[in-house]
Amino acid sequence: MTGLRAIRAPALRALVFLAAVLPMTEGHAALAPWPALQGKTVVFVTSAGTDSSEPNDDALVSQHLRDLGFAVRRVDASAPASAADGASLIVLSSTADAHELGDKYADSPVPIFTWNTYDFPNLGLTGPVLHRDFEVIDPTQHYPDSFSVLYGYGANVTSEISRAVGLGPQLFGTLYLEPETAGWGRPGPGGTVIADFKGKPSHAAVFTYERDASLANGRVAPARRVGFFLGSDDFHLLTAAYGPAAKDPNMRRWAIGLKLFDTALRWAVSPPPPRPAYDPAALDATIRRVAHGKKILFVERVNAGEGKEADEHIVAHLRGLRFTVTIADQSEPETRARGEDLVIVSGTCSKWKLANRYADVPIPLVSLEGLMSDTLHFAGYDRYVDYGEHGEERESDDPEENYLDIVGAWSPMAAGLKPGLVKFANTPGVLKWARPLADAIVIATLPNEPQERAIFGYPKGSRMAGGFVAPARRALLPLDNPTYDDLTPQGSALFDAVVLWTLNGE
Amino acid sequence: MTRHSRASGAAAFLSAAALGATIAHAADGFPYRMVHRMSLSGAAPVAALAFDPGGKHLYAAVDEDLRSYDTASGAPAEVVKLPGVGVALGVAARDGGLLYVATRAPARLLILTLRPLRIASSVALRGEPSALLYDALGDALYVESRAGDTVERLDPGSGKALGLAHLYGRLGQMAVNGRGMLYVANAAHDELEVIETGKMSRAGTVPLSGCSAPTGLAMDPVGRRLFVACGNGEALVVDEDMGMTFVRLPIEKAGSLRAVFAFNPLGAGGWKGAAFMAGDAPALDAIQMKAFISYVGGGSLPLSGRCTSLAVSPAAGQLALALAPRGTEPGSTGEGATAAGAARDPSGVELWMLGGASQGVSQ
Repeated sequence: MTGLRAIRAPALRALVFLAAVLPMTEGHAALAPWPALQGKTVVFVTSAGTDSSEPNDDALVSQHLRDLGFAVRRVDASAPASAADGASLIVLSSTADAHELGDKYADSPVPIFTWNTYDFPNLGLTGPVLHRDFEVIDPTQHYPDSFSVLYGYGANVTSEISRAVGLGPQLFGTLYLEPETAGWGRPGPGGTVIADFKGKPSHAAVFTYERDASLANGRVAPARRVGFFLGSDDFHLLTAAYGPAAKDPNMRRWAIGLKLFDTALRWAVSPPPPRPAYDPAALDATIRRVAHGKKILFVERVNAGEGKEADEHIVAHLRGLRFTVTIADQSEPETRARGEDLVIVSGTCSKWKLANRYADVPIPLVSLEGLMSDTLHFAGYDRYVDYGEHGEERESDDPEENYLDIVGAWSPMAAGLKPGLVKFANTPGVLKWARPLADAIVIATLPNEPQERAIFGYPKGSRMAGGFVAPARRALLPLDNPTYDDLTPQGSALFDAVVLWTLNGE
Repeated sequence: MTRHSRASGAAAFLSAAALGATIAHAADGFPYRMVHRMSLSGAAPVAALAFDPGGKHLYAAVDEDLRSYDTASGAPAEVVKLPGVGVALGVAARDGGLLYVATRAPARLLILTLRPLRIASSVALRGEPSALLYDALGDALYVESRAGDTVERLDPGSGKALGLAHLYGRLGQMAVNGRGMLYVANAAHDELEVIETGKMSRAGTVPLSGCSAPTGLAMDPVGRRLFVACGNGEALVVDEDMGMTFVRLPIEKAGSLRAVFAFNPLGAGGWKGAAFMAGDAPALDAIQMKAFISYVGGGSLPLSGRCTSLAVSPAAGQLALALAPRGTEPGSTGEGATAAGAARDPSGVELWMLGGASQGVSQ
């Protein structure tokens, strides 16, 4: 036996678990340095040779890839999927016929970087409906919109791509100043929107799927995937600043089209984080190691009716892990958080009574109450639109639920659970959800409600609702008053994994 | 020593109409026509051309002569003897109109008044000059020395040296934005050198991806566009504010190219703006400006020899080219001098003045 199977002791497996987390900065795997990527083979899929009757930049892209140090193998859309065997990256140009491409690369274990917007659905990157799930804007058909795609918006500021590019929550120039062709897509909940058009994450200009993330069609990304906004002939118009302009920080942050292209490409071809394995014992050992010397403030409605027992059991569990846990009543001032390492807000708290407490605390925070998503800046302010619940009598049209759909299996927050449905609690009950902003790493949604995100985490520095910047990690894990006592082993693992991830971000 | 004379015998003044067939092969889209065509019998290649600010006269540096021509008639006007070989010219509207001449052997800057055309002052240059540029917006004068790898800033009134920048590579044309930045094509590094003119310090470089051996450079200081002529047959339009190339157009390949830009280059009613590029190539290429974000190929004009200098005057509505036989480039053996122009004239040196359709053809 080799590898993980050979590692039997939980402590050793815990080290492996930690190792899976360590290469990640703010929840995302690090980019490989450029020198490590030199000589890697890129299969560049385009129209057949030079037969394309339309002008295109495929030759320029090909040269650019070579300039970056890749060995480029150009094939046309009719080539079999095996053409990518052994390659490190597949790049799909929009000059390749999307219908001819079909889904031939959908299951490829090779990362894909594509600006073939019409092929997005074939790869499962978006849903199948034109104009709703994806669209190509061009100056002929959509003249006014072809100006709007000259401006991108930094939807995500914490992903590795965003950090490397210096992407802020601001507009930037995508393409040079002429009405141009560009595509957008609406990725599924397992996707990460890096940049969008018009400030609408549903119109993603650049988006990614980590390996093992759930795709929009419910399948799982077999390797990294990147959707990019380019048209066939506007690679040469990707913005960049040189000369004196490169010394102007404003222009440097504005003209990032080419840098975004290069960095997203680099991310695609960089090794993904190790696959976390579902191993409750290893997780337990890891969290015990991390817990040593750490202090948690547990905020609850002291002497609550329903949920009192569950709160006691949560606290007991945390203390059993060797956290130092202090209990604060919901009405106490948030200065109670001083000196603590983590705040956990119980589902027994009254949103009204808790008010805005702890929203701004500069230490990590886990909320077990989804209805506080607005006060905690997790989501917008429109109840039942930006956040809501399933199963609460008279407050929800949706039935009780006890399953979650894991869409971010790649993240340590998913506790190594496989993508897809997981039994979270033994019996159906109330489950809360919210719609976080693009910086959030989404782990689970409610079944059949991909927009209703049940478990997610904001990395430190994230842009949260209302322009709030996360001073430390934030996470939502929906545990209605008594639910903790009804958690399945998988649900318990998710609890520990979310606490561990949130605490571990400093 | 200065000598004034009428240049009646200095040039054979040819009928452009009679020579019309020579440019009948101009590519589609090139809308300008020959207005005057002159053969400079026995003359050395024209090193530099410049129009006066009003567009009334064209000046040509021909060996140790500075010759002037009436742009309306094409007739030769005056000749001023230079104390060295003229290599570059510049014109300023200041002080009633000044003409700058950079000479080699000896290396000097001459400042001439335009009316009368005479040398008003002469100052020594620190190195052999290769190019000269007057910045009308910034009222500054720059002299480049390719041999010395320098660009020097001079006072345009006195010629006094104000600053020096050292550059390394193979320096080509200069362009200036009038707002404190000077650009120099560097054919050795395939980039533009950027100099902050206040301190004459390097402010960075602008890479020219896909362009090799850039030698020609012109600027639209209003649209903030740089036009680069590359030896590998590409013309680039660069957004100066970003240093980003956003238009690439094919032009003739050449070892050495020059570029000029002007709004309404050949008079009212013509193109909004255009850049023209010519050099060792067999044709003059035009880039038509449709709008500040839209540039297209403006056609090309076959040339009977290599273009040694190029100037444009919106005031005159003219584009002037100086041609020399091929094979007479510096360092050439001359064996390749087979152009039609050379066949007509022993020296093969010609001066072409192109104008819009509204301009009459000289008789």
